Amino acid sequence: MKFSLPFLLYGLLVIGGAHYAARSGWLASPATEVKNIPKSIRENPGVYRSHYHFLPRWFGGK
Amino acid sequence: MVTANRVPAPAPLACPNCGGRIELRGFAHTRAAVCIQCCSVLDASAAGLKVIQRFDEAVRVRPLIPLGSRGKLQGKTWEVIGFQVRAIRVEGVPYSWHEYLLFNPYAGFRYLTHYDGHWNFVATVRSLPAFTSVRGRKAVVFEGRTYAHFQSARATTTFVMGEFPWAVRVGETVTADDYVSPPWILSSEQDGKEINWSQGVYVPGKEIWQAFGLPGSPPAAHGVYANQPNPHMDKMRRAWRTLGVLLALWLAAVVLHLATSSNQELFRRSYRFAANSPGEHSFVTEPFSVPRTGNVKVEIRTDLDNNWAYFNMALLAEDGSRGFDFGREISYYHGRDSDGSWSEGSRSDSATLARVPAGRYYLRIEPEMDPQAAFASAAGMSMNYEVIVRHDTPRLWIFFLALPLLLISPVLHSFRAMGLESARWSESDYGTMAGFSGDSE
Repeated sequence: MKFSLPFLLYGLLVIGGAHYAARSGWLASPATEVKNIPKSIRENPGVYRSHYHFLPRWFGGK
Repeated sequence: MVTANRVPAPAPLACPNCGGRIELRGFAHTRAAVCIQCCSVLDASAAGLKVIQRFDEAVRVRPLIPLGSRGKLQGKTWEVIGFQVRAIRVEGVPYSWHEYLLFNPYAGFRYLTHYDGHWNFVATVRSLPAFTSVRGRKAVVFEGRTYAHFQSARATTTFVMGEFPWAVRVGETVTADDYVSPPWILSSEQDGKEINWSQGVYVPGKEIWQAFGLPGSPPAAHGVYANQPNPHMDKMRRAWRTLGVLLALWLAAVVLHLATSSNQELFRRSYRFAANSPGEHSFVTEPFSVPRTGNVKVEIRTDLDNNWAYFNMALLAEDGSRGFDFGREISYYHGRDSDGSWSEGSRSDSATLARVPAGRYYLRIEPEMDPQAAFASAAGMSMNYEVIVRHDTPRLWIFFLALPLLLISPVLHSFRAMGLESARWSESDYGTMAGFSGDSE
């Protein structure tokens, strides 16, 4: 046989997996889904408390 | 009537040295015979038998296939009528191998060579190979196949037993050259007067044992023989061929992914942030529509210069049913020191949110900057930035992530194949993979 069937099946799985992952959003950026957002945020954005608080750390420079 | 499987009975004679019984199985072809009892070499072409060489009992070697054994190889029945041990010396190290002379009255003579568990079925050839070179090294072409030169050595016969169609003698020396194209080997032997060419094919010891009905199992093969087939070579070729097919499929999948990703821009707006401005820094954008379920990519481009910023962000449904909370840190520093110019970080970043349901959304953005920098310099106080929201963006990097996974098999088989070839050629005169081509299909 000119081709390796197990490798062909494995490769199809990898390519299919990549296609699925790209479509499904696998390894997308971490985000927290929140429910029931108060509509008042549009008038007063400050009332919203983000799950992603900035944590002070050292930044910058070589 | 005589058939190939019923070899006529040999004529018995007596050894003039010890009186032992000698059977000449090669009939008129036999020019020299070696007494199986005393191992004296006898001239079989003389009237009666004449001793031409006496034997040193101390170097007697017992053949693994007894003389007189019959076996079927390559569709013909062969009888072992002679046995000799030959030796070469490479860099001062002696190496010896065994040669069995096989005879079939209708097909003639063949040889079985055995070295360290490796066997070859050998026949002399009628036509001469053509000399050529491969990568600047000696090679020959025979019957359309190119054989790479493997080794040259002076081969000396150190022990003989049985009968031979030439005047065999212990101490006989020839210059031997081996050319290989696994599983084939082409050998030339030159004794000063003539050159004899023979072609051998590698035969697993198990097949020899089965052919001659020998008890037990053949001696285990050690190392890699000159023309031993490389079992990884075929796997390697199949793996690379399969990879070709898979790369075509991979490319098709990438094209399909690109073609089916709308990469539609939903929102774009530029802002300015001043860290020292009083009041609430968070704000919300105008609403925009996500037309169907899919990913949403939020990109932020800044003009940061030796500074950092943090963006608390939330993609919120206008009807308040759901939201996606995330953050992005952007920093960009550069300068020049004794090592030259340097930079780290980037002025832009993006976040891709997976499977955002269709609907109307807006962004809540809350930028932050280094408060110390804000006090230190005017440049540290503010930045300009742009927010771009796209829907159904292609994510090609995942496909590129798959590429190394596809390469594992062919690369692994290639390493194995090359490892075996490296071991093979390390035993050659060249000590490298000079003739690396593996076994032909």
